[in-house]
Amino acid sequence: MKEMKYDVVVVGAGIAGPIVARNVAKAGYSVLLIDKKPAIGSPKQCAEGINMKVFDEYDIPYDKRFINREIYGAKLYSPSGYELELRYKEASGVILERKVFDKMLAYYAAKAGADVLARTEAQDVIRKEGKVVGITAKHENEPVEIYTNIIVAADGVESTIARKAGLNTYAPPHEFDSSYEYEMLIEGYDPDLIHLWFGNEVAPRGYVWVFPKDEDRANVGIGIASDHPETAKHYLDKWLEENKIQTKRILEVNVGVVPVGGFVKELAKDNVLVVGDAARQVNPMHGGGMAEAMGAGTIASKWIVKALEEENLSFLQNYTKEWWETDGKRLEKVLKVRHVTEKLTDEDLDLFIQILSGADAEKIAGGDYGEVIKALLKHPKVLMSKRRLSLLKELL
Amino acid sequence: MPEKIRIVVNEDRCYLCGGCAGVCPTLAIEVHSNGWEFFQDKCISCRICINTCPVGALSAEPLEVEG
Repeated sequence: MKEMKYDVVVVGAGIAGPIVARNVAKAGYSVLLIDKKPAIGSPKQCAEGINMKVFDEYDIPYDKRFINREIYGAKLYSPSGYELELRYKEASGVILERKVFDKMLAYYAAKAGADVLARTEAQDVIRKEGKVVGITAKHENEPVEIYTNIIVAADGVESTIARKAGLNTYAPPHEFDSSYEYEMLIEGYDPDLIHLWFGNEVAPRGYVWVFPKDEDRANVGIGIASDHPETAKHYLDKWLEENKIQTKRILEVNVGVVPVGGFVKELAKDNVLVVGDAARQVNPMHGGGMAEAMGAGTIASKWIVKALEEENLSFLQNYTKEWWETDGKRLEKVLKVRHVTEKLTDEDLDLFIQILSGADAEKIAGGDYGEVIKALLKHPKVLMSKRRLSLLKELL
Repeated sequence: MPEKIRIVVNEDRCYLCGGCAGVCPTLAIEVHSNGWEFFQDKCISCRICINTCPVGALSAEPLEVEG
């Protein structure tokens, strides 16, 4: 059997994996990044929207090859058709081409000195005297044993390697969304904005999205609570039919499950770390996890480098600590908001979107939940309802 | 006790997205690049995977138990 030896092995070349591999390779350590897919980035499981800030923050080139278009804000639609438009003067985000983006992230890792192997599937961990010393993998039909000091499980929602290594990544079914998406030709939606539809009949617990790519092409998708008995596909097809949107020009069908709560508590165990979707590090309100994966990957790689420099694996525990003190703390608050919003009735959604469309849009566009709640609490229909008041007070 | 079941996949519907493996509490499902695999001995018949599948590709068959 073929044997390999690296300082660090990263399982999964989505977003978090290549960021870790790149940063550790830059520090001069040997890294292997593997992915089971024959083509890194394909198929995509994503609506492809990302905040503009991440390029500077995580040292990613603003490369037109993976940026489809710039986005200037969002438009929200309530069940009865009230609209709330949040438009910025400058581009606030972009729609990526994930197939190019993920491949380029892996390319940056390789350029920094990491080895990268597509079509290489991790199968299990290798233990010696109770310690995890590597992984077994398969490249096409060739088995490989990869020995390593540190394993990074960036293996997506499946989280199989993380769990085989003994990390507890379990989250209950209500803490996941089931998603279904078409990349298709569609017209009539402002291509400078992302569009989101809410409603308990539209998308139970979630929303329908149109994320424009080009003027007349978009990712049109849905996320619903994964413990809902109907499928995501059922609700998306129903929405398209009700809105008389033609579905004759479909370029892709994308499917996936998104962790939207229940972040993994223990992110590092001995010499194994878990990052990204595998660690459930996703924004529970909108289900986006790319920026979160980059953030977690950055923290993880910092402590991996430190542990290797100091030849002391206990530094890896600082990844858990730092993540929970920073992004973990922020996401716990977002999760609280999600727990409240999922109790809203269609009448609540209509009323709230109606009120907010007349409020200080600039402050709300800043994403300040406090301002949103303040605006809502001024309205008599909120003040007169004990239920609405108590829901909103849960957020203060 | 819930009825003991076997999970079966409709390969024509399945996209190998990995979601069922992600929500399975006991690692009873693995999704490989070339196929879907079920481990009966690990399954606890909780049906979470069936509900989660975004396209309804999974279903249950009763498992015959002796006695």
